[in-house]
Amino acid sequence: MADKLTQKNRMPEWITSPTSRALAALIVVFVLGLLFHAEGAFYKWGTHRDMLRAVSVYGILACGMTLVIITAGIDLSVGSVLALTAVLFALTTIHWQWPFWLAILFCLAVGGVCGGFSGYLIGRFRIQPFIATLAMMVFARGVAKWVSGGQKISTAVQQPDGTYQYVSVPDIFTLINAKIFGGNLTVVTVILLACILISWILLTRLRQGRYMLAIGGNEQAAVLSGVPVNPIKILAYGMAGLFSAVAGICQASQELQGDPEAGVAYELSAIAMVVIGGTSLQGGRGSLWLTLIGILTIGYLEKILSINAVGEDKRLMLTGVIIIAAVLLQKNK
Amino acid sequence: MKNGMILLIAVCLGLILFGGGCGKTESPEGEPGGRTIGMSQCNLGEPWRVQMNADVRRAAEAHPNLRVIFKDAQNDTLKQQAQMEEFISAGVDLIIISPKEAAPLTPVVAQAYAKGIPVLVLDRRVLGDQYTCFIGADNKKIGKAAGQWIVDTLGGQGKVVELKGLMTSTPGQDRHTGFREGIEGSDLEIIFEADMKWLEPNARKEMESALARFPQIDLVYAHNDPGAHGAYLAAKAAGREQDILFVGIDGLPQEGQAYVSQGVLAASFEYPTGGKEAIETALKILAGQPVEKEITLTSRVFTQDTIDQGGQRLTE
Repeated sequence: MADKLTQKNRMPEWITSPTSRALAALIVVFVLGLLFHAEGAFYKWGTHRDMLRAVSVYGILACGMTLVIITAGIDLSVGSVLALTAVLFALTTIHWQWPFWLAILFCLAVGGVCGGFSGYLIGRFRIQPFIATLAMMVFARGVAKWVSGGQKISTAVQQPDGTYQYVSVPDIFTLINAKIFGGNLTVVTVILLACILISWILLTRLRQGRYMLAIGGNEQAAVLSGVPVNPIKILAYGMAGLFSAVAGICQASQELQGDPEAGVAYELSAIAMVVIGGTSLQGGRGSLWLTLIGILTIGYLEKILSINAVGEDKRLMLTGVIIIAAVLLQKNK
Repeated sequence: MKNGMILLIAVCLGLILFGGGCGKTESPEGEPGGRTIGMSQCNLGEPWRVQMNADVRRAAEAHPNLRVIFKDAQNDTLKQQAQMEEFISAGVDLIIISPKEAAPLTPVVAQAYAKGIPVLVLDRRVLGDQYTCFIGADNKKIGKAAGQWIVDTLGGQGKVVELKGLMTSTPGQDRHTGFREGIEGSDLEIIFEADMKWLEPNARKEMESALARFPQIDLVYAHNDPGAHGAYLAAKAAGREQDILFVGIDGLPQEGQAYVSQGVLAASFEYPTGGKEAIETALKILAGQPVEKEITLTSRVFTQDTIDQGGQRLTE
């Protein structure tokens, strides 16, 4: 307690607040971009628009991940559920010619059920989140490979005689893959912003969000104060599954196909985004604003390395260093 | 409740094992007079390898006395070793292996060969000469052919982006060095190169960066077709797809060939799976005919002009 007081005396609160700390990392990365601008590429809005596009799918996963992490959990299955729903979205729209709204609802339902089931296992049977979602990660990947036959589901449709017939890309793919506002923003980025908004409302404006924070802060206390712990866990993981499905739909639309191998290791990027923002893995605190800052930090870092054509080896090393630096900035000394 | 859950899991497991397994596993004995081939695939996570198995299956289906048992090592060397041992103890008539890596799988291949089981090695090599036959294509030659095709198409000059596969993998290295050999002496300029790890979303990201930096790009050479397609999508989003040619490698029917016939790629260079040739060679071996120790598959190039005729064979 005494330490905290002296620290407060040393620095004004707006500097030590989690948001400022998270922003510090983002600003450092952004300044790197201004310095290494790759012949002016960093000064063009197109570069930033493309960064926002590339980071959107990860960001959508990070929204669900934030909710789960706030309940002191973790969801490793988001990348696999993304692949499963991407395959299902391509299958239903391209091969089975479903109307787009039905395909979207179906995929969202599948994602929600996958996540909700993990939440049910975690709440009802007290399986550790790491184990339950690890199982779902493996299982969903298996289902994705099974329904797709191990092949990408694309506009090349195999006929019974082994030849391929090429069909046109469904309109919904083109729509999600498009740019709006005079070509200055991509639709997937708008979808990301919508997901952030929905999660933010859930977390800060609804009772269920408060319960998530309570469970993450002290589960015993939450149980004793009458918080419906199990339903709230199903909700948190269900939302993560739902957002994975949204990400899967975006991924399929952008690739013009459903790839059962998509999304491998995406869960790690999503977790990194949440943690760099400053949401604690111990649960109980965190916010969507912090996650948004984390998303932008990782996005800008990748973009700057990419426009400067930095080699893969150095990229991995630099990314590791930046993650540690950003997390150290979060630490209360 | 907990018991109910365990029962449910058990039922699911049973369904997966028996429902999914029945269609694929066949008894090693087979019909009277039939011959059994064991096929060990290192990883079915890649479309190209799924295609290889499909090619083997299709070629084998034409011969009712052939039974092929497929095993997937899921990119695990030890698993593949175990599968080879299973084939040896099951006493199959011939083994086709597409090994994950050379050194650790060489002994088990040699062990089968020493027991008198013919072993066909597909795509990737094992060390030494303790196997019956190696069938594979040459990535370096394909990369070189792609380089020469690009030099011819661009008239010897232009600005090129190279999107590399995983540069720690031999196909990636060979497709890179072959390409550089192919363009040697020309005035082609490689203005941007990046590792996209064979993945389409990565290729799209890297291409966006290249587009942001360079107002003029004449051609994109990607180490696989999904990479070339990802680059195309990035260029299309920037409204620049008409100014750029896209060239990829692999030429799978549902990927490279489809993209060429849709006008997305200017060319796709086939990296043949050898599945059909493996069965042809296996039949010869089982009939007691001599086969060559090493069969190099010829590749085809698919372009807008040749796609309808099934591509054009590459010559030396």
